[in-house]
Amino acid sequence: MEDGELFKRYRETGDIADRNRIVEKYLYIASVLAKKFVGRGVEYDDLFQVASLALMKGVERFDESKGLQFSTFITPTITGEIKNYFRDRSRLVHLPRRVAELRVKIKRAADELLTETGKKPTAQQLAQRLNVTEEEIVRAMEAGAVVSLDRNADQDGEDGMSFYEVLASEDNFAEQLENRDMVVSAVKKLNDTEKEIIRCRFDEELSQTETARRMGVSQMFVSRMERKILDKLKNDLKKSMAD
Amino acid sequence: MEELLALSFALKSDLFTTVRLTAGGICARAGLSLDDAEDCKVCVTESLLLFMRNGYSSARVQFAQDNGVCVRLTGENGRGAAGDSAEDEISYSLLGALVENLNVERKDGAVTEITFRFGS
Repeated sequence: MEDGELFKRYRETGDIADRNRIVEKYLYIASVLAKKFVGRGVEYDDLFQVASLALMKGVERFDESKGLQFSTFITPTITGEIKNYFRDRSRLVHLPRRVAELRVKIKRAADELLTETGKKPTAQQLAQRLNVTEEEIVRAMEAGAVVSLDRNADQDGEDGMSFYEVLASEDNFAEQLENRDMVVSAVKKLNDTEKEIIRCRFDEELSQTETARRMGVSQMFVSRMERKILDKLKNDLKKSMAD
Repeated sequence: MEELLALSFALKSDLFTTVRLTAGGICARAGLSLDDAEDCKVCVTESLLLFMRNGYSSARVQFAQDNGVCVRLTGENGRGAAGDSAEDEISYSLLGALVENLNVERKDGAVTEITFRFGS
């Protein structure tokens, strides 16, 4: 029986067996679409369930008299339901936890595979072992490549400078300085070298390394001077406020 | 519009992960939401599958950025031929459901270029 006739008969009789025939015929679309959205923190089975329910709703809503193919109608309907499901689950909360869990599993699986084969495993081997996609493995590993700003920027760690201290400033400290009379007057008391460091670091937002290059001194010198200047400004401000 | 990156590669499914990860990186750079980035990756994959089914052996993907991410995919090296209509229909419907400004260029019934955009 043609789809059109089946839909027409279902509308007329409301026979659930006819509805089930239609659903079974198009269930593959629910499966195909569910697979395309795997890897966003929701298991395939859950997505397939959402897609199947959307398919059943779509059967009720489809108007065969408009001349549209059911497959053309149902694909955006199922896609929309899947997207709504993602939105309602607030993936922003669930995804990081899933990634963190996966990272733990990757570490364990990597150790096991190294023991078994004597070689460090590839992403493909890890994906097979953990029954996830290679993309999920790579993404989870990428997510772990976050660098702490407190970590030593210098590999030797000799100068004790953290990334936070070396990176260019992103706040608008210079603007705040200008707007506060007390600070401005405190800065005026600094010598020329100190003022130049303040200007480079907080006005031009240069990193310590860039500031050092500009001034023809070492980055260590800029770092020490910066701490000294900030202590000086703090003490000056405290004194001004006490007065 | 700033063109950021172009990739030309053989249409082999084991390269799709690399392309998807690249698309994800470009979307992150452009400040797209995670949902938009994931949708963009689905669209890139779907377009590449369409090219595969339409007889191409390689493809070119170009990413550009303005207020969002523009993606242009072109089928290369191969005789463009109309693919399986049922599968293609689902692919086009899926693309149409995920992006509002989908543009598909065809020649003799076979797709030659697909462009879409994500972001405001």
